Amino acid sequence: MSGAHHGDHSHGHAAPARPAIQPGLSKERLREILESRLAAKTDSRDLRGTTVIVARERLRDAVLLLRDESDLRFDQLLDISGVDYLAFPGHRGPRFAAVYLFKSTVFTHRITLKVEVDEDDASVPSIHDLFLFANWAERETWDQYGIVFVGHPNLKRLLNHHEFIGHPLRKDYPCQKRQKLSVNDPMIDQLEARLKQRGYTVLEHGVFEPGTPMTYHDKAGAAR
Amino acid sequence: MVFKPTPASVTPEVNLGDAFVTTRVDAVVNWGRRNSLWPFPFGTACCAIEFMGMVSSMFDVSRFGAELVRFSPRQADLLIIAGTVTYKQAPVLRRIYEQMLAPRWVISAGACATSGGFYDCYCTVPGIDEIIPVDVYVAGCPPRPEAFLEAIWQIQQKISGEAIREQKAIGA
Repeated sequence: MSGAHHGDHSHGHAAPARPAIQPGLSKERLREILESRLAAKTDSRDLRGTTVIVARERLRDAVLLLRDESDLRFDQLLDISGVDYLAFPGHRGPRFAAVYLFKSTVFTHRITLKVEVDEDDASVPSIHDLFLFANWAERETWDQYGIVFVGHPNLKRLLNHHEFIGHPLRKDYPCQKRQKLSVNDPMIDQLEARLKQRGYTVLEHGVFEPGTPMTYHDKAGAAR
Repeated sequence: MVFKPTPASVTPEVNLGDAFVTTRVDAVVNWGRRNSLWPFPFGTACCAIEFMGMVSSMFDVSRFGAELVRFSPRQADLLIIAGTVTYKQAPVLRRIYEQMLAPRWVISAGACATSGGFYDCYCTVPGIDEIIPVDVYVAGCPPRPEAFLEAIWQIQQKISGEAIREQKAIGA
């Protein structure tokens, strides 16, 4: 077989052997743990049966439990997303949901947390201090759905530009409504923060000259 | 080269032979411009892959003198927008265009750059001619490298007909 020498560590600096991924808990057992310890309830709309709904107040407890418990070890936050249930067939209850996808690199199991929030109080506690990745993921979810992550250090738009008004993935946003950007966002504040974080001293605060706001033209060449 | 003394009775031009070519300034300048286009690829999507196909050996755009790809707009005179342009990128593209020295030409390659393509949504510019003037549009999603070559050729044809006295107005 041509791949017979594939595992030959003859170069002398082989990476330390990675422990094999162990079989995890069954989804029934995972649901049981979350239901008994955090009063979570299973989301019947998830046909795979790996989604549980937790109360907003218990979210951080749930994330800590999933991350740190020795037989759970959900050490990867894959994504934070949002759902807008406006006009969802047969839906009753809060309009929005924040969805947290977790994976373990130690065990083979996965779980999805869902937090339902009402339209008039669409806010969820931030978990940016528990998972580094949550910082940008929460910014994106706020940008697209308008779900506020309370305690986030820099809840700015991530995908849409800074002159954008509204949240485009909400079902009541007219999806063809375009919003033009006149001046680019130089993001100097974040650059300076990153420089300071890496041990540099910012001697002079750069002044970005954005130029004149740009204009757009229609097909005939007239400004609009 | 040996110069013979010219008899005073003969007009000097007769003896020059083929050492001179008479032409128009426009023809010489346009000849240089059209055969040494320096493209700046603004590649944002899959059309840029086809641009790479055009530049590399299979299609070889250097046959047309446009192989010297520059990644500074100050050194380029042919802007090729190959891919989707969002409103967030629009001021960036506009600034790149404004940094290019005149004379400059623009190719809008593919469906997205030309019309927004199938991105009929809140974030995509429906055609970059909202932002900058375009000389040649290329159809396709993405266009084949041959279509890119055709666009280069059409730009060359366009340059051939230009007059130096009628330079494009800046920002036109």
